Amino acid sequence: MKRFFLCFATVCLSLAFAMQATAAGTVKVGNILPLSGPSASVGLQGKNAREMAVEEINAAGGIKSLGGAKIELLYADSKSDPNVGVTEAERFINNDKVNVLTGAWNSGVTYPSTAVAERYGIPYIVPVSVRDTITERGFKNVFRIAAKDSWWTRDQFAFLKEMEKEFGEDLKTVAFVYENGDWGTGFAAQWEKLAKENGFEVVLNEPYPSTATDLTPVVNKIRRARPDVLLLTSNAADAILLTNTLADYKVRPKVILGSGGGHADPTFLSGAGNNARYVFDIVEWEADVNKPGAKETNAKYKERYGSNLTGEAVDAYVAMYVLADALERAGSLEPAKIREALASTDLKTGPGMIVTYDSVKFDESGQNENAALSVVQINDLGSGLERITVWPKSARRAGYTPVFPMPKN
Amino acid sequence: MDFIFFLQDLINGVLMGLIYGLVALGLTLIFGVLKVINFAHGSFIMVGMFVAYWAVSLTGLHPYLALALVVPTMFIFGYFTQDLLIKPVFRAERDVREPTTVIIVTTGMWYILDNLALLIFGPDYRALSPNPLKGQMIELGQLFISVPKLWGALASVATAVGLFLFLSKTRLGRAVRATSLDREAAGLMGINQWKIYNIAFGLGTAVAGIAGVALTPFNNVYPTVGIPFDVKSFVIVVLGGLGSIPGALIGGVIIGLIESLGPIFMTSTWTEAIVYGLFLLVLFVRPTGLFGQKFDW
Repeated sequence: MKRFFLCFATVCLSLAFAMQATAAGTVKVGNILPLSGPSASVGLQGKNAREMAVEEINAAGGIKSLGGAKIELLYADSKSDPNVGVTEAERFINNDKVNVLTGAWNSGVTYPSTAVAERYGIPYIVPVSVRDTITERGFKNVFRIAAKDSWWTRDQFAFLKEMEKEFGEDLKTVAFVYENGDWGTGFAAQWEKLAKENGFEVVLNEPYPSTATDLTPVVNKIRRARPDVLLLTSNAADAILLTNTLADYKVRPKVILGSGGGHADPTFLSGAGNNARYVFDIVEWEADVNKPGAKETNAKYKERYGSNLTGEAVDAYVAMYVLADALERAGSLEPAKIREALASTDLKTGPGMIVTYDSVKFDESGQNENAALSVVQINDLGSGLERITVWPKSARRAGYTPVFPMPKN
Repeated sequence: MDFIFFLQDLINGVLMGLIYGLVALGLTLIFGVLKVINFAHGSFIMVGMFVAYWAVSLTGLHPYLALALVVPTMFIFGYFTQDLLIKPVFRAERDVREPTTVIIVTTGMWYILDNLALLIFGPDYRALSPNPLKGQMIELGQLFISVPKLWGALASVATAVGLFLFLSKTRLGRAVRATSLDREAAGLMGINQWKIYNIAFGLGTAVAGIAGVALTPFNNVYPTVGIPFDVKSFVIVVLGGLGSIPGALIGGVIIGLIESLGPIFMTSTWTEAIVYGLFLLVLFVRPTGLFGQKFDW
């Protein structure tokens, strides 16, 4: 009998503990990211930024409307493989019972894995994955922080047009060189349309495999085509290889304009070195942005992880604050409630608002309608290579005049 | 003018092709002797590139002088990889002529090495700098020839010739060949099979190190850099004939030329398809490759 009581007491106690654990509660967030494979570098940036944000949120008392619930991050490595992304999304939802999903950086992984989340009715926050169609399928549970790729290309041409006007330079011909994945081919299709609308002549339209071990043949083709403008969509390894090979063969169009991605990777500057000078790149964020708290957040990130925040990292960082804000308003862990709260997001303040625009607000389709882009130029102003915001003109770093066109040597 | 561009692509194709040949050489050597398909070959190239990268950036040596450091390091690495990881599997499958379990071991090594590199060095892309070869071009009017690639191509030919001489002229080389032909008979003649295997594996790994030295001056170094080279090596080795040294070089040049001249007529994405198409074709039509004699050099 004594034994029975002892047992009973133990069971009661452990039950009580278990109850308490659920009462204090944790919000489980499943993150699908490329942590190995060709995009591991950006995947890791996203992971770091998420961790930093969640640590801040938890340290500030967690989600108050949920009794101080803490956010717990779970990770799955997609290896940039769509199949893995789908399986991991299923696993997160069925086994780990996550409340929210985020990811997956590669559009090709985000596209099918958001479909899984939609099927189960689990909210899925997409910090960065630019493919338009991710939010254009009438899904109710997908929310994207970053601008979609049609906005990227739109702004690239807007930038070119404004530069022509500002510097009185005529840009006539354009070459497209892009990795042959979803991202690159998506950009190229829109460039094609925009080039026609803007009166450019397309002299080269060249996809290449991102795993290429030698890009000299591509560079030779660019050299032969002699474009005024070279538009690139590259991942980090090929962006470095391409930039170095272009410099080797002295290929100097008037403008080289990247599309974020590899050109925005912190390793691009160290890998390409001085060859990266004068290259333009379109990005969602830059460390010299003029927003309160941006400098401090960037400094904190740099101290912990050794490099500046990238656009990717900032979007991931913001995503966590958007999530915290939604949870606070939802006051529930029920996916439907979280979804409702996300849909009515209008985040204007808080540590997350170091973005270039003024608020995060999702439209019908789940796209952040305020997401905006800027263009930077890589240059060395005496303290090493850095990325300097040059466009839109209102955001241009004070005292900097872009070098345009690219000097001949 | 157009001829210049054609010539440019032709030269680049041959140089790059020879370097691909060098990359594949270690794979073909190990297969030739041990009959082991080393799936970790790309990772060996990656390790070679990291060793070369650190040797050059820490000592400030000329990339090619770093060979003095890279080759012995890689040889020892390969020697003990075979001795400690592969030999036990061989022993367990003593009676099998072409042990398949070893493939699983080498595949495991590929994952372990790549992820170990990721763990230690992070996913960063590193480019050798300062680097006396980076961006060096020979300019003949409109014609540009990349100096680091020229060096790489020379290293490739030198390595192939060196290996050939070693295998045909030295006593140890002859022992290696004997073991590759018939390990039991060689054993009866007093050749220590395991030692020969260690040496052959070490040599193949050292050659991967030379390939790493050749690649590092103009390529990025990162943990998964081996994967595209791995795939390419397999195509080259099948094309040239498994185990054949000249086959590796010629197979490499064929791939290099397809990659370099192909984009004149089509987009570079298609050249990849052609390379794999050729790979399949060779497997169907002539599985021994261009130079494949079954058990001979």
